[in-house]
Amino acid sequence: MQEWGWRGFKIVQSIIERLPRAWAYALAVLAARFSWWFSPLARPRLEYNLKIACPEASPAEIRRLSWLNFRNHAKAYADLMMLPRTRVVEMRPLMHVEGWEYLEQARAIGKGIMVVSCHMGSYEVTAAIWSATLAPVTFFAEELEPRPLFEWYRDTRARLGISVLPLDLAGLRKVTQALRDNELVITAIDRDITGTGRVMPFFGRPAPIPTGPTALALRMGTPLLPVCVYRLPDDSYKVEGMPLIIAERSGDDDADELRVTQQLLRQIEEFIRRHPEQWHVPHRIWEGGP
Amino acid sequence: MKVGLVSPYDFASPGGVTDHVRYLAKALAHIGHPTQIFAPSSRRHADSDGTIFHRIGTPIAIPVNDSVARITLSFRLANQVQSIVQRERFDVLHFHEPLMPAKPMTLLRLSTLRPYLERLHRGIAVSEPARTFFSRYFPDFPLRIIPNGIDTSVYRPGLSPIRHLRDDKVNILFVGRLEKRKGLGDLLRAYELMRSRVTNARLIIVGDGPLRGSAESFISRHRLPDVVMAGFVPDFVLPRYYDSADIFCAPATGSESFGIVLLEAMACALPVVATEVPGYMSVLEPGKDSLTVRPKSWAELGAALVILARDPELRRRMGAAGNEKAQRYSWSSVASQVVEVYEEARAAARGLVESHVHDAV
Repeated sequence: MQEWGWRGFKIVQSIIERLPRAWAYALAVLAARFSWWFSPLARPRLEYNLKIACPEASPAEIRRLSWLNFRNHAKAYADLMMLPRTRVVEMRPLMHVEGWEYLEQARAIGKGIMVVSCHMGSYEVTAAIWSATLAPVTFFAEELEPRPLFEWYRDTRARLGISVLPLDLAGLRKVTQALRDNELVITAIDRDITGTGRVMPFFGRPAPIPTGPTALALRMGTPLLPVCVYRLPDDSYKVEGMPLIIAERSGDDDADELRVTQQLLRQIEEFIRRHPEQWHVPHRIWEGGP
Repeated sequence: MKVGLVSPYDFASPGGVTDHVRYLAKALAHIGHPTQIFAPSSRRHADSDGTIFHRIGTPIAIPVNDSVARITLSFRLANQVQSIVQRERFDVLHFHEPLMPAKPMTLLRLSTLRPYLERLHRGIAVSEPARTFFSRYFPDFPLRIIPNGIDTSVYRPGLSPIRHLRDDKVNILFVGRLEKRKGLGDLLRAYELMRSRVTNARLIIVGDGPLRGSAESFISRHRLPDVVMAGFVPDFVLPRYYDSADIFCAPATGSESFGIVLLEAMACALPVVATEVPGYMSVLEPGKDSLTVRPKSWAELGAALVILARDPELRRRMGAAGNEKAQRYSWSSVASQVVEVYEEARAAARGLVESHVHDAV
């Protein structure tokens, strides 16, 4: 079954990458409509998460947000499928950056940059442009199934200069080296993929949150840069960088990890409150969800 | 000296001649010779790396030499080019592959080309095989051998690798257009053979082309493990692929006049396994910086890969020798030699130097 799923993906991808951007998006929106109607689990989970993130939103508003969410996510998928034939120089004018000075500040420190964000927007496009113009970029990413699909993701990103590392010890070692070489490492902390996160309040309710990025930043003195990437109505991309968070050690590593991760999490909550229609996590974050 | 570099190839598509023109323009400007580029381009704004670029038409794809060349053949562009040349008043016009597309179509014997050639004052060949090929048809044309150059500040060891490719595996890298003459089929067979003896090998294939589908199908049919089809890799990432590899393999079957990829690999301190085609042999010193095998002999290719994959010390030694040699091909050195030919051409054009056949014109 997985083999056929992978073959299906490759066929769709090879069609999408040959289409003009507007056509690829039109197909993506069609697919989004289909999966929004018929997904048995993704939509209820997403709407549950959105309800917690936006407690004042009415059921109709949540429904509207979840549709927009599927739509934006499908377009991000189309971006990814188009990457093998995309030229980075042509994408550059589509990216609008706010808070570039924080990125420059972080670079000047010389201990790498830990870019911390959430599952929102077309990160590949931003990372590809940064990789071409700023410094090599590394992603922490979960290993997807089937394996050929994961390898396709990894190779597609690699040809744009983005290294993709698994969330294990070997991956951690390489990330440490990347930070030593003053490179960018991009990670998201709004979902605990490995099951090793620490429980802390996220939108006021306890949720397991990964503390690995903070632990690494504390150990290496790497500045943490909260960044939010989202799609604008004209399908260009907005990248917003926030003031750096410098993780300082007080002697109690556990408490420091918790304190700095919570500081980051408040910023992530702010991003999600401002753009709930782009925050795509159709997975269980909180206990009690579908 | 004001120089105009002319290329027949699509400047918006990656390729050896295009890269050569781009780097040469930069190197000439660096040593004080303002340079402009003329080439067709499938895009309105081609990346000329800061050099003034004149777009001369849109290219068309024509099959030549087991490959596809994207060149312009329009005669209507003559007026446009003439007006630019008159306005800019160049001291030298340097044509890259001036007989394209005639050369690969083996039309060189045609006497109709002779008057055209007689309007050129000097020639440059990138290697002895290239000069021999040309001289077979025009034995008296004054040609000097100047090799291709390499930007050793871009291609060098110690760059950030593609980190997920740096593990306990021995990475074998292929870089080139996926077409028959580059020998990818032989490399895939050789890799299949070597995998039974070196289980921790990985093959990284960088490049795109008409054979991509059949290469993917071969890999899937033969269940070849650890093969990365990277596809087209932009210039700014390519050096990082070299720095992620342990061995470079160039299995071309013939028709290579130089092999710039060999220099790129050597500049990144990679040992080379290559086929003994004349263009490659003008760069390589077998046993010192490379192991060489007969073209199309995939069993020999596999054996050479096994030898290098099993011997890290040999890889290190050959890589260091290659890196040392690559320094001799730096663009500043190549540009200085090219300027000497320009001086000769200018003297010939003014009639100061007499050539025994074409009176240097």
